[in-house]
Amino acid sequence: MKSQHSKGRRAIPVAVLGIVGLFFLSHNGFAESNAPKNFDNQGGKIFEAQRVTPQLNLQADSGGRTLASFYGLRQYPGSPPRIPHEVDLSFSGNETDCLSCHGKGGYSAQFGAYAPVTPHPENVLCYQCHATIKSETLFVETEWKSITPPRLGQSFLSSSPPPVPHSLQMRENCIACHTGPGAVAEIRISHAARGDCRQCHATVVQSAPLIEFERN
Amino acid sequence: MKLDRRQFIKQAAISSAFATAGALFPGISFGDWSRLTQNSGIISWQKSPCRFCGTGCGVLVGVSDGRAVAVKGDPNCSVNKGLCCMKGYHSVQALYGKDRLTKALVRKNGTLVEVPIQEALDLIAQKLQETRDKYGKDSVAMYGSGQWTIPDGYVASKLFKGCLGTNNVEANARLCMASAVTGFMTSFGIDEPMGCYEDIDHANVFITWGNNMAEMHPVLFSRMLAQRKNRTDVKIIDFATRNTRTSQAADKSIIFKPQTDLAVANAICYEIIKNDWVNWNFVNDHVSFHKGKTNIGYGTEDHFAFTDKAESISFEDFEIFLEDYTPEKVEKISGVAAKDIKYLASVYGDPTVKVTSFWCMGMNQHTRGTWINNLVYNIHLLVGKISTPGNSPFSLTGQPSACGTVREVGTLTHALPHGVVMNEHDREMAAKIWEVPVENIDPKPTYHTVEMFRALDRGDIRFMWIQVTNPMVTMPNLRRYRDGALKEDRFVVVSDVYPTPTTDIADVILPAAMWIEQEGLYGNSERRTQHFDQIVDPPGEAMSDTWQIIEVARRLGFEKQFPWAESEYIEKIWEEYRLFHAGPKHEMAPYTLLTQRSGVQWPFVNGKETRWRFNPKHDPACTNGKDFDFYGKKDNRAWIWARPYEPAAESPDAEYNFWLNTGRVLEHWHTGSMTRRVPVLHNAVPSAYVEIHPEDAAELGVVNGEKVKIISRRGEITMPAQINGRGVPVRGMVFVPFFDESYLINEVTLDAFCPISKQPDYKKCAVRLEKV
Repeated sequence: MKSQHSKGRRAIPVAVLGIVGLFFLSHNGFAESNAPKNFDNQGGKIFEAQRVTPQLNLQADSGGRTLASFYGLRQYPGSPPRIPHEVDLSFSGNETDCLSCHGKGGYSAQFGAYAPVTPHPENVLCYQCHATIKSETLFVETEWKSITPPRLGQSFLSSSPPPVPHSLQMRENCIACHTGPGAVAEIRISHAARGDCRQCHATVVQSAPLIEFERN
Repeated sequence: MKLDRRQFIKQAAISSAFATAGALFPGISFGDWSRLTQNSGIISWQKSPCRFCGTGCGVLVGVSDGRAVAVKGDPNCSVNKGLCCMKGYHSVQALYGKDRLTKALVRKNGTLVEVPIQEALDLIAQKLQETRDKYGKDSVAMYGSGQWTIPDGYVASKLFKGCLGTNNVEANARLCMASAVTGFMTSFGIDEPMGCYEDIDHANVFITWGNNMAEMHPVLFSRMLAQRKNRTDVKIIDFATRNTRTSQAADKSIIFKPQTDLAVANAICYEIIKNDWVNWNFVNDHVSFHKGKTNIGYGTEDHFAFTDKAESISFEDFEIFLEDYTPEKVEKISGVAAKDIKYLASVYGDPTVKVTSFWCMGMNQHTRGTWINNLVYNIHLLVGKISTPGNSPFSLTGQPSACGTVREVGTLTHALPHGVVMNEHDREMAAKIWEVPVENIDPKPTYHTVEMFRALDRGDIRFMWIQVTNPMVTMPNLRRYRDGALKEDRFVVVSDVYPTPTTDIADVILPAAMWIEQEGLYGNSERRTQHFDQIVDPPGEAMSDTWQIIEVARRLGFEKQFPWAESEYIEKIWEEYRLFHAGPKHEMAPYTLLTQRSGVQWPFVNGKETRWRFNPKHDPACTNGKDFDFYGKKDNRAWIWARPYEPAAESPDAEYNFWLNTGRVLEHWHTGSMTRRVPVLHNAVPSAYVEIHPEDAAELGVVNGEKVKIISRRGEITMPAQINGRGVPVRGMVFVPFFDESYLINEVTLDAFCPISKQPDYKKCAVRLEKV
């Protein structure tokens, strides 16, 4: 895992970031389900995202992000990514401002790129986990190593949908990371309008050791 | 797969292209694909319906070197239009479990011994004959399933009902679809839905009645979600006893107390009448009103018998009957707020809104299953929302051919391929087509499923042949029926593809060809008949269930009735069976057409499928010149039934203070004997668990994963708790999926059933919990 962000890091203050108004959301006048929220890995978020994200956004692609840059910001698979751009100090006065771009995504003319969408916009204290990068030099060298990220496309058959290879904690909303122009190219899909990701993609990550099936 | 010369030349190029795919998509795994020796790299794709649920998705099975290696959704199949669920995508892996049964096994001195299959078939024929001679014709029985292909069920019926003279052909579809059938018969006089899946593309509001479609019929559910996405006027209302993925996705989730759907349905009718939302033109022309018996019992005792009696009533009588069901009164029974009942009524009552109701096991596995089916039809009939695109009361099925084989072929102990054994004309038709004396067909129905296993326990049945199903996991009050089957002088034959708790009790095990290892036909929930060719070879001596029955029939001297050659028997059987359904109400497509298309809906008349029955714009059987023709009933009307709320057979009390609800999960199908052998599916849900409400769990002092003992009056089971997992039951209820043979939850459930349909209720019995 790279401990430093790539050299191409953009140093444009986000305070002047402009968002093209592609992604205004419409609720069709319906409320979210009144079912409890906190069960089944909060899977209600997927249905809600499918409903409110415009079709265009579900299908659009920019190819702007790659898996290499994605993991370049992380210390291990699943770690909170560092913030790859400068953040105006005055901006940090209100943490939810991150969500003005990362809540729903959209095009930034300054960055010339689409903002990635956070899968957990309900956590508004972004700096609690996401660090800025003020310096690229280390205090001392590190011998840190981590596990390799999950392989892509772990389909059991050449034609079958791959199971979900990562934990769903904080990443319950598949649509946030896997669709739209801000998504990482290698893991972007264009069929999210179908609505129920878990219809085809099994979640096989276990919190407890797997019990092998054996007939007595 | 055989390669022709041109394909063979192409091989090298394709193989090397395949090798470079690894470079093009680094990290992408092609699974076991690359390990297949002799793999040509060429796949041929052949169509089939999916092996699992009753949705009937079209799949394309990829075959290479004689093995099924891949699956795609069939884009030509209107059911799923190229999309599957995770079970469908991995379905072919269920063919290759290491413990496939490939040889016949016979129990000798308590141990199972491999024998040549012909020897096992000799023994079956001999035992069947001996039992018949010693104990009478009704001492032998065949128990099949909604996973039987149509030819499987047809030859079983012909052998037992036509040749052996016993009506003892029953199927596990009794446990899943019987109330749907009696619902259709009592309300419309003819079985199976009037609408079709295309209703999803037209409806504005979907109401799921006790039906977790997001997991159980995911392909249809995502079709609903896509409609909601693409149109601005679509919403989903989940009406259930437990919070599920369907409630998560719904626009509104309404929770009711178990069994009180009866009261809520009546309250909806009350509101519709009170607000004058009745479609009077429709009701005056097409509906008649009736009532039946009340206080009808629960069937928990042996030899329970019940016959309903219909009486005509007036609309005013019906109105008076509904006075007990004001929303305010029903709120007290059901726990559903009066305003939510009024909301539901307003949705059904709004003439500008097209409403489709979906249901499956929640309404069918119900001690008043026939009634609740009637009551939902009542609602649709009062407002005239039926038999038109988008207006559809839709009964879903759970097995791939519950409709095709059990309901259409009539593999139940009262039924025939056309009609019922009690009807002289139907018996004559069957005798003529089967070329047997009409006296062979007994006019008296025999045992429904629960009573059939009771008869095996009592000794009234001594020989039972079980095909394509796993009753030693699925029978309610299981312990009695397992002990009964193991009694002295009971002979049980089981045809299956893997060892199961049912093969554990067998005296003879026959290895069966599975799904695409044989040619066959299924029939799905929307009257669609689906043909599949034999795509791969069965392993070892495994043989199709149809052919097993034919082999035994011939040994019993019925060569004349079972004359077909192995090369063409499916076609011959289909064309013989079709004779039963001639005519515009049920005409089936010819064999050749079925081999070409990804399913054909019946009635198939003059080269045209029928999407909406009873509607003359779509259904050629309508002849009355009006805008609808409910030709199933003699009065040419659909019947509204006054059916009261009656409590469940067993409700929680001071001692047993929880409801037990059972069901499925998306990953596993039925008893898991197939899906647990698919790595992706087993890894996703490796074992069963008990869902408990977080507050009940806290009171009990258990956290996620801790063991809980579930105790009923019939048995007990200890299993891990799951809190805020896949589903959340309401307080005072627990839910257990039944797929896991290590946790036989049916040792705890109750064998009470709907007195009209005889279908057991797996959703309601009383238990208490203990922390272990």
